Amino acid sequence: MTLEEWMPVFALMISLVASVGIFALPETGYVRRTSVNLGAAVLKLVVVIVMVWGVFHGVNYGVSFTMLPGVTFVLRADALSMMFAGLSAVLWLLTTIYAVGYLEDSPNRRRFFGFFSLCVASTMGIALAGNLFTFFLFYEILTLSTYPLVVHRGTEKALRAGRTYLIYTLTGGAVLLLAIAWLHSLVGDLSFRDGGHLVDADPDIHRSLILIFILLVAGLGVKAALFPLHGWLPQAMVAPAPVSALLHAVAVVKAGAFGIVRVVYDVYGVEASSDLGLLAPLSWLAAFTILYASTRAIWQVDLKRRLAFSTISQVSYIILGIALAGPLAAVGGLVHLLHQGIMKITLFFCAGNYAETLGIHRIDEMDGAGQRMPGTSLAFTIGAFGMIGAPPLAGFITKWVMGSGALAVNMDWVILVLVGSSLLNAVYFLPIIHRLWFRKGKETWPEERTWGRLETSPWLLWPPLLTAMMVVVSGVFASSQFSPLAWAELIVLREISE
Amino acid sequence: MTLWLMAGLLFTPLAWAVLTLLTDFVWGRRVTWVGILVQVLVSLGLWLTVAQHGGFYYDLGGWGAPLGIELRVDGLAVTFVLLTAAVASACGLHAGVYIDQHKPWHRYFWPLFWFLWSGLNAVWLGGDLFNLYVGLELISLSAVGLVALGGNANALRASIRYLLAALLGSLAYLLGVALIYGQFGTLSIAGVVAWLDNHSAPAGPGLALALMITGLALKTALFPLHRWLPPAHGIAKSPVSALLSALVVKASFYIAARLWLAFGESLGSLAAAQMVGLLGGAAVVWGSWLACKQAQLKQVVAYSSVAQIGYLFLLFPLTYSVSESVSLQAQQGITLQVISHALAKAAMFLAAGNLILSVGSSRIDALAGVSRFLPFSLFSFGLAGVSLMSLPPSGGFAAKWLLLQASLGSGQWWWALVLLAGGLLSAAYLFRIYRASFAENPETDQFFHPSKSLEIIPMVLAVMALGLGFVSEQVLSVMALPFAEEGAP
Amino acid sequence: MTFPEPILALVAVCLPLLYPAMALRSDWRRVMRYILPVLPLPALLLASCGDPSWQLELPWLLNGGLWALDDLRRLFLLLTAVLWTVAGVYAVGYLAESHIRRFCVCWGLTLAGNLGLTVAVDIGSFYSFFALMTFAGYGLIVHEGTDEAHYAGRVYMAMAVLGEMSILAGLLLAASAADSQLLTDLPAALAQAQQRDLIIALLIAGFGVKAGLPLLHFWLPLAHPVAPTPASAVLSGAMIKAGLLGWLVTLPFGEIGLSGWGALMVAAGAVGALGAAILGVLQHRPKAVLAYSSISQMGLMVLMVGAALADPERAPVLFSVIGLYALHHGLAKGSLFLSAGVSLPASRMGQTMIWILIALPGLSLAGLPFTSGALAKLAMKAGLAEDSLSFALAGCLPPLMTAGAIATLLLVLRYLWTLSAKLETGQTPPMLTAGWLAAVAASLIAFWWMPWDLAGLVKAPVWLPAPYQIWALVWPMLIALALAGLAVLLCRNSRSAALGAKPH
Repeated sequence: MTLEEWMPVFALMISLVASVGIFALPETGYVRRTSVNLGAAVLKLVVVIVMVWGVFHGVNYGVSFTMLPGVTFVLRADALSMMFAGLSAVLWLLTTIYAVGYLEDSPNRRRFFGFFSLCVASTMGIALAGNLFTFFLFYEILTLSTYPLVVHRGTEKALRAGRTYLIYTLTGGAVLLLAIAWLHSLVGDLSFRDGGHLVDADPDIHRSLILIFILLVAGLGVKAALFPLHGWLPQAMVAPAPVSALLHAVAVVKAGAFGIVRVVYDVYGVEASSDLGLLAPLSWLAAFTILYASTRAIWQVDLKRRLAFSTISQVSYIILGIALAGPLAAVGGLVHLLHQGIMKITLFFCAGNYAETLGIHRIDEMDGAGQRMPGTSLAFTIGAFGMIGAPPLAGFITKWVMGSGALAVNMDWVILVLVGSSLLNAVYFLPIIHRLWFRKGKETWPEERTWGRLETSPWLLWPPLLTAMMVVVSGVFASSQFSPLAWAELIVLREISE
Repeated sequence: MTLWLMAGLLFTPLAWAVLTLLTDFVWGRRVTWVGILVQVLVSLGLWLTVAQHGGFYYDLGGWGAPLGIELRVDGLAVTFVLLTAAVASACGLHAGVYIDQHKPWHRYFWPLFWFLWSGLNAVWLGGDLFNLYVGLELISLSAVGLVALGGNANALRASIRYLLAALLGSLAYLLGVALIYGQFGTLSIAGVVAWLDNHSAPAGPGLALALMITGLALKTALFPLHRWLPPAHGIAKSPVSALLSALVVKASFYIAARLWLAFGESLGSLAAAQMVGLLGGAAVVWGSWLACKQAQLKQVVAYSSVAQIGYLFLLFPLTYSVSESVSLQAQQGITLQVISHALAKAAMFLAAGNLILSVGSSRIDALAGVSRFLPFSLFSFGLAGVSLMSLPPSGGFAAKWLLLQASLGSGQWWWALVLLAGGLLSAAYLFRIYRASFAENPETDQFFHPSKSLEIIPMVLAVMALGLGFVSEQVLSVMALPFAEEGAP
Repeated sequence: MTFPEPILALVAVCLPLLYPAMALRSDWRRVMRYILPVLPLPALLLASCGDPSWQLELPWLLNGGLWALDDLRRLFLLLTAVLWTVAGVYAVGYLAESHIRRFCVCWGLTLAGNLGLTVAVDIGSFYSFFALMTFAGYGLIVHEGTDEAHYAGRVYMAMAVLGEMSILAGLLLAASAADSQLLTDLPAALAQAQQRDLIIALLIAGFGVKAGLPLLHFWLPLAHPVAPTPASAVLSGAMIKAGLLGWLVTLPFGEIGLSGWGALMVAAGAVGALGAAILGVLQHRPKAVLAYSSISQMGLMVLMVGAALADPERAPVLFSVIGLYALHHGLAKGSLFLSAGVSLPASRMGQTMIWILIALPGLSLAGLPFTSGALAKLAMKAGLAEDSLSFALAGCLPPLMTAGAIATLLLVLRYLWTLSAKLETGQTPPMLTAGWLAAVAASLIAFWWMPWDLAGLVKAPVWLPAPYQIWALVWPMLIALALAGLAVLLCRNSRSAALGAKPH
């Protein structure tokens, strides 16, 4: 095997091996476990950066072997893969750092970090999957490896949430499997290809293709939390903060959205999907989800729950972007894959910090927390403004590009959705920011822990600050050569040049 | 060379059986260790032979059919031989530690174990109906004996029930064999097929086939003939349950499948095929539903077997009057299902045994805190569960994928729905168990920690079940090897 | 001048933008306050000395950045820089110890936004700075932390967010119509755009929130009184003008005559100018009166914006007048606001001096001869002269302007009246006094040195009104004085009547 073949395997195996290594180490081996974990995360980041560089310069990384008669297992890196892989690699490192601080002195850390790495390995697999079969493989492993994380606390509430999570995701997985198997039996083993495969599909199978598309979107929509399949997400926020952060930013919801991107772009092809009349309803659904979830978020009093509804809304931007079937709108959708990731992870990190340091879970307990925890609150503020779409943060770039893209394809109604969503976001985020900075805090916090001069443990403080910085940087430097926006443009350029 | 391998497979287990009959438990265990080593080596040797040279007919002792013992040594058979070697050795090794050596009747475990093994090998390799019957009886009787080893009244009751069901099944099968012999004058499957190829199918043998398959279905515990299985598998010692679920029920199914694939096209009917498939589907749903209702850990696993067996019977509709490629997909899918279920279920029973040993209760709700203090056993259980839920990348998933392809390819989409529903239902009953184990009730570790060797064995099996998905192509390619027909009559 | 203006521009914007980082170290808190007046200095230098024909390309920024200055922007930049400087000096003396870091952070960010939006030529950075100013300004408004401040902040935020969204939608549509990310391309494209009216409506409404357009003004009278005084000064003097600038750089002036929109704006301006005056004189708090005065003054500017919209020929001339007027009003209003925080000295002489200094910028607003107000008023009058305009409502403009002048003085008098009840004798912190005096000086003196080329509207010498013009300036003031005197008399009478009715 050549190096080009080994690289994706490396990228995948690093987290997997780390996971096995963590399980093999004893529960009490804190230092060793942390070093293995962080070492692997750094190594993976390096590998991914090398691959990003390679993909940018046109290197084809890929490996495949026949797994079953007629079915191949394909790992392959294209520009879209690397976008997701890069997000996953960067956030894994940060989330691991965060989780080490967050779970200090709590039980079951071996289990937690083991499954955590497994979860990241499966997102890597999802990113690098070269066909729907391989994608599904990792998609389901992801479901399984996140369950122990969701129920990690072991409380009745957590167990119930885990149950809901499974009911949704496993059913979605079954639907997805049916769709993939059906498609496979109709047109054979389709690898992801820029431009898709089905542009000149036999008209006889059009009806089946439409049905399959619906099934695919339904199956993937569960994880992407498309309305009305979003019910699990707000419940799953009982998980520890790093898990929620990962779930909402990279792992689960993104896997669903990423899958829909793959289906529309690399399996059906934009042209075929819109010829079959599939994209317009998808865009309506996404738009409705955006507005519906934002509206629901307003009434949530629990901080993480509010963030969860916000996720539902934000992830649908990605789907909206690609469903608009225009290159510029697609850039907007794809870039949101990254932007939403860094913004949401910032917010969840911060929510975790408030909970862990001050015992704050509800929004009405947050009065004056900005005085006590300025760094965290700064990060939170940046993340929230990013979500609102305030310039020059990352969220604005998404909205601007997507809005321009929508206008370019004469879908003016999208502007209403974008503006409405920004308004709703403002309605549920600005009061929090007001409370943080401009209300007088109570004398005592629900459960305060102190770290000397620092507002909280440095393990917990730096990750949100770093991600908040990324939110700013990827917004301000959006037009530079290595910004998320530039990468999304590269993806779309390669897609449409086929 | 081949002679030695054959003898090693069929007769040395009998020798070990006799030998262990004479010893006490501890010596039996030592003998068994040696025996396992020999058996594994022999099985591997045969597998390698076939993998290199392809399959063949082998007349044991030089006497061919119809008088002698005719063995059909093809890729499928050697794969199952190897599977048996893997699962049985795991169970044997596990049992050596797990079973309490101080109870005097436990020493009979070893002879029964070896009789079972030789019966299994006989069934996998058997080429004629009567030898298959002999193997089947050997299996049934030793299995009943193993269940009875449980010692208490419930175990005896379950084993008597099992015995009755097994005998009834054997009778039906034997009746069918007699009818076939009366019609065709031969007991060799290949002989009958050759006859059928040259003549148009007569009416009578259809009944014979139905009788044989009904009998075998009873032994395989196909819905609605499954009632004997859960008590027997649930009450037996864990290694015994593992053997029963993983291998014993597969033996009768294997015969049924062979019969169907050989005769089904000419003697069966569409209605019959769909009917069997329907029962299989009902087994999947009903077995899973009952598994969800059980309060005892091993009962859940036992009912899960009922459900998983249901999948196997989808072979019948999916191979009847369909295209060659669909039929092949279905056969491959079912084969993978047999293998992965055998590995996964054995792993699961053994892991369940460990868990019960640790928490001191067989109830599911006693598992609270297991995830924290006994992660390893739970992990084996969980990995095995992945395969049972037929989630990727396990062998169960590969099997499901092929079956889905077969059912969609043949236009029988309803089986696809059964497959998907079955997967979800299995998740429902398995995650009940995980869920219980994730509860954080006891703050301190009050569990018994079983020895490492007990814990590692199910893990190895579970990893094999899980990894099967990645090597499915290789496994299936051995089965697809050319078959040397010159030995055939 | 050989000074590298682009770098200066970068420094001018980035200095206040990065200054809040000082808040990360708590021991720098004391220093932060003293840096406030320094922040706008590079911008001041840029606006006053720099050659305006520079461009700064920042291709990596947002959707491709381009910063530059032209005459109009330079005017606004000057206003912004001057006002923020004097307010900064004032703030050093004004600020109490509590939450000073938070205030300084918001101050720096708001300033950065305000400066940035005046130099930004690309849509992305313009909108970014505008939003930065809007959101950071919230911190200035609610700084005092009273319930009233929070209420005002909430209203401000609600309206500001609505405005932002309106701007976002408008800019998106406009940018897509123009297929460009530069503001300079928008007016021409807008004139041709299919959805022209929608875009114009969105932009007018969006910037109108900032500019205090009637019905979009509600936040102003709530926010200005509760904000700390230096913040009120910049809110009313500089930030309110950002909305105006927004209009000027986006709407299709000079491209196409939009008589409908022009009429609407003129009507809105008239309502604003007179309606705010009526509401304003009923206020009891000095800063509320000033807030209404701002709305009223903005109404007059909206009047000009309307005329410019309606008449493409006249637009370039009106632009300079609007710029001039904005500068004049910003400085005068700034000093008026700052005067709300001074204390009177003990000596009678000193008190008189102070009162004169307080009153002068107010009278300047009303168009007192020999002040910037006279210049602005005359320029406006010439700019809106009936015969030079060609649209339907042109005839209404002169009487409206006169009424506006009367309204202005009435409001100023009302302000002085309410202030007199509030001002106390005592010590004024020196920096506070310095800031206020600097503001007054900027309003009254510095203004005269600025080189204006007003297309021959105002005869030379620029700052000296000709005798025939003095009357034109003064008679509305006399009417206003008379009205005020009447009001005072009426008040006295009713009060003494009430006293008289009291049974002995």
